[in-house]
Amino acid sequence: MAEVAYQKPLPMPSELSAPFWEACRRHELVIQRCQNCRALRFPPAILCPECLSAVVEWTRVSGGGKIFSFVVFHRVYHPGFATDVPYTVALIELEEGPRLVSNIVDCPPSEVACDLPVEVVFEDVTPEVTLPQFRLRPASGKV
Amino acid sequence: MSATLRDKYAIVGVGQSPIGEVPDMDSLSLLALAMKAAIEDAGLTNKHIDGMITRGPDDVYTHHQHMGQILGINPRFSASLASGGASQCAAVAMAAMAIEAGMCETVVTGYGRNTWSRTRKRGTRQGSERGLRLPGEPQEFAPEFGLFGATAMHAFGCRRHMHLYGTTKDQMGAVAVAFRRHASKNPLAQMREPITLEDYHRAKPIVEPYNMLDCSLNSDGAGAVVVTRAERARDLRQRPVTIMGFGQKNNLRGWFHDDNMVTLGGLESAAVAYRMAGIGPEDVDVAQIYDCFTYIVLATLEDYGFCKKGEGGPFVASGALELDGALPTNTSGGQLSEGHIEGMLQIVEAVRQLRRDHPPDRLVKDAEIAIVSGHGGNTVCHSTLILRRG
Repeated sequence: MAEVAYQKPLPMPSELSAPFWEACRRHELVIQRCQNCRALRFPPAILCPECLSAVVEWTRVSGGGKIFSFVVFHRVYHPGFATDVPYTVALIELEEGPRLVSNIVDCPPSEVACDLPVEVVFEDVTPEVTLPQFRLRPASGKV
Repeated sequence: MSATLRDKYAIVGVGQSPIGEVPDMDSLSLLALAMKAAIEDAGLTNKHIDGMITRGPDDVYTHHQHMGQILGINPRFSASLASGGASQCAAVAMAAMAIEAGMCETVVTGYGRNTWSRTRKRGTRQGSERGLRLPGEPQEFAPEFGLFGATAMHAFGCRRHMHLYGTTKDQMGAVAVAFRRHASKNPLAQMREPITLEDYHRAKPIVEPYNMLDCSLNSDGAGAVVVTRAERARDLRQRPVTIMGFGQKNNLRGWFHDDNMVTLGGLESAAVAYRMAGIGPEDVDVAQIYDCFTYIVLATLEDYGFCKKGEGGPFVASGALELDGALPTNTSGGQLSEGHIEGMLQIVEAVRQLRRDHPPDRLVKDAEIAIVSGHGGNTVCHSTLILRRG
């Protein structure tokens, strides 16, 4: 059977975010750290929103965090998600502080809850693109 | 803020276009009709208008330029705002500031859209459903995870509020049911068929925790108001409604940042407006609260001090929003039922309540003070107006 092309939108990285996506391909989660005040930030930006320094480095984070909030899509806004509904989109709060949007995978929406601990998993969706997604931490169970 | 502007400026005219499904009319034409109606309501003509503040659909370049051309006005001061649904209250405040600064004397402001017709013509509800990237839509960190649209962006805060405070769908449903009851008495409302809490729970889910009846309407239409000096207003056709206070707070660092999805900019925006007006929430007789989604109403009522943070659910379920309730709210049906004109019709309705334009069965008894909220930009921008019967 011929392989079906990936149907969902792919991220369109900017010059600022390219290192994030390159790290995902290596199955590493990285975010920016200000070299002046050490504040971590996400999404990627040219200046530190705390001290406005432009001197920045990328730092690897643990990949652990918790579900700050989440929503469950029933409406199909993009045909690539037609067979996924209902699916969960979550705002993950990383252990290091910054928050990012992702999906909760390997878990029915009815078992997702705010503040549950999660950990990153990487899905290679095309040869060029890897998405960071999250699953409930196995030991955590339900709160 | 300073109390020196309190009651110094007034809304002297209001107008609206047909609302709901208005085929074959673009948003500029709809707004032109609303602005003409507001100017005439004030007993003025386009020759008297020397200020204009608009907020067009986001894809129209220099929106106010189009409106000046249609209405034959070369204003001494004009601008187009871009704070989404927070633009409309902010525009009325800016009108007062512009007159105070000596830039102009009489300002027309308004907003129009043809969202219902535009989306139907495309054959889709939203451009993004076809997989298009619209201007201004994120290119990463959202669509690849299936995150699209304002409904989802506002649903994160709702979920967090439910988690923190035990807010329920029954309570959110009470908002939808109350506003539909108000709309059922409004002959110009887009949705007038009363609904029950059972109807609400049966509505199809869109992005949980929101179902169809948690979401505001897709509407064509426009609203407009005229602002000038209160002392001048005495010579005009209508009883003036004075601007007691206004405020803004814009959490531009993002919906996902800090506590922004549960405590909106409304907390600080209202505090500034109350201070300018010299009143508190206990003095407010009628509220017009931006209701893009049911949850935003109860979060805003908390931020505005009508109940404590976390108690918005029980407050709205208590009957408070009814015409004879503790805080009659969105008395023309709001954006959930009257029509979604990004808050502009709620300014118009606040003025009509204070002027007592409506028949008695739609009026809040003896209303003297109204508060209006604006909210936009994916939950980050907020603006507040406090108005008084002049």
